[in-house]
Amino acid sequence: MFSRELTVSDLDRLDRIATAAVDALQMDEDTFRAFYDRTARQVWAYLARITGDRSLADDLLQETYYRFLRAERDFTSESHRRNYLFRIATNLAHDRHRRGRGITNVPVPEENAPGALADGRDLAAETEQRADLARAMARLKPREREMLWLAYAQGSSHEEIAESLGLRKSSIKILLFRARRRLAAALGGQS
Amino acid sequence: MRLRPGRADRGGAAPPLKMEIECPRESDVLDALASARWPNRVEHELAEHVASCAICRDVVAVASAIQDDHDHAWREANVPSSGQMWWRAEMRARQDAIREASRPITVAQGVAALCALTLAAVATWFAWPSVRAVLSSLGLTGDAQTTIASPMVIPLAVAMGALLIIAPLAIYVVVSEK
Repeated sequence: MFSRELTVSDLDRLDRIATAAVDALQMDEDTFRAFYDRTARQVWAYLARITGDRSLADDLLQETYYRFLRAERDFTSESHRRNYLFRIATNLAHDRHRRGRGITNVPVPEENAPGALADGRDLAAETEQRADLARAMARLKPREREMLWLAYAQGSSHEEIAESLGLRKSSIKILLFRARRRLAAALGGQS
Repeated sequence: MRLRPGRADRGGAAPPLKMEIECPRESDVLDALASARWPNRVEHELAEHVASCAICRDVVAVASAIQDDHDHAWREANVPSSGQMWWRAEMRARQDAIREASRPITVAQGVAALCALTLAAVATWFAWPSVRAVLSSLGLTGDAQTTIASPMVIPLAVAMGALLIIAPLAIYVVVSEK
């Protein structure tokens, strides 16, 4: 309705702005790619398990790294950088949960045919165990799922968990204890 | 760390209820799980401890299930390549920057157009008596004025009304992100 033709100077200005936006990203390409290769699978697994939705995890993974790249922050260490990445992922998952796309559906593992894995483990039994865990995790609060995953899948310390979830370090011990007890009870009740 | 006793327990003579929330052997148990020594190659003493310690039993149940699931999730993760992710982030940063930079221009264009149209409408409104005087001086009668003026005033009024409604909506649509 109110459009006008862009002039060459407009285009130059916008190009300069776009280039500056790319220059202002948190990392250069090589550093980012190395960091991404180290962390992407961990972040995806975390998102997939705390949301219970693989396709949502795909979407949130991209958003997480984009927001990370645009964050205007100085990181003192690799651990600090990694915790901040998980914090972004956690906040995005919370936003989606609040908007109604949460862990209401329990993800059913895809492989359910009986058989043995190459290393001799029973495929059907493993699939069932994962389904049990998914059902038990779905009964927990989002914060409990996140805490347990960070502690036992990522091997994060209490300090790292506190930083990733935006909680006080002093409260992690008791919260983790309660979450662990609830999950153990849920797993025990299922088996 | 221990839980504080409940209020009911503080005043009485009975010893306060205390609940252990961590065990000093937790890290040994987690090490055994992480190094795949649990349950077959773990020290007999640690296995005995776990059998008698509720906290370590929970740690084993929860950590082993989550670690197995983590291994599976790691294998099933099909993440985009780092190059692809970088390229998408770069494109999006460019688009976001251009959109943000273009927004003031779009707003200014909208406001300028709205001001111009409003000024034109106001000028027409104030000039209308002069136009009528000119028409009279040309010898056009009152009937003739009505004949000429009516078709002009009604569309003008409708156009102004529509403008007042549509212009803010148009600006909102142009300016809003979605």
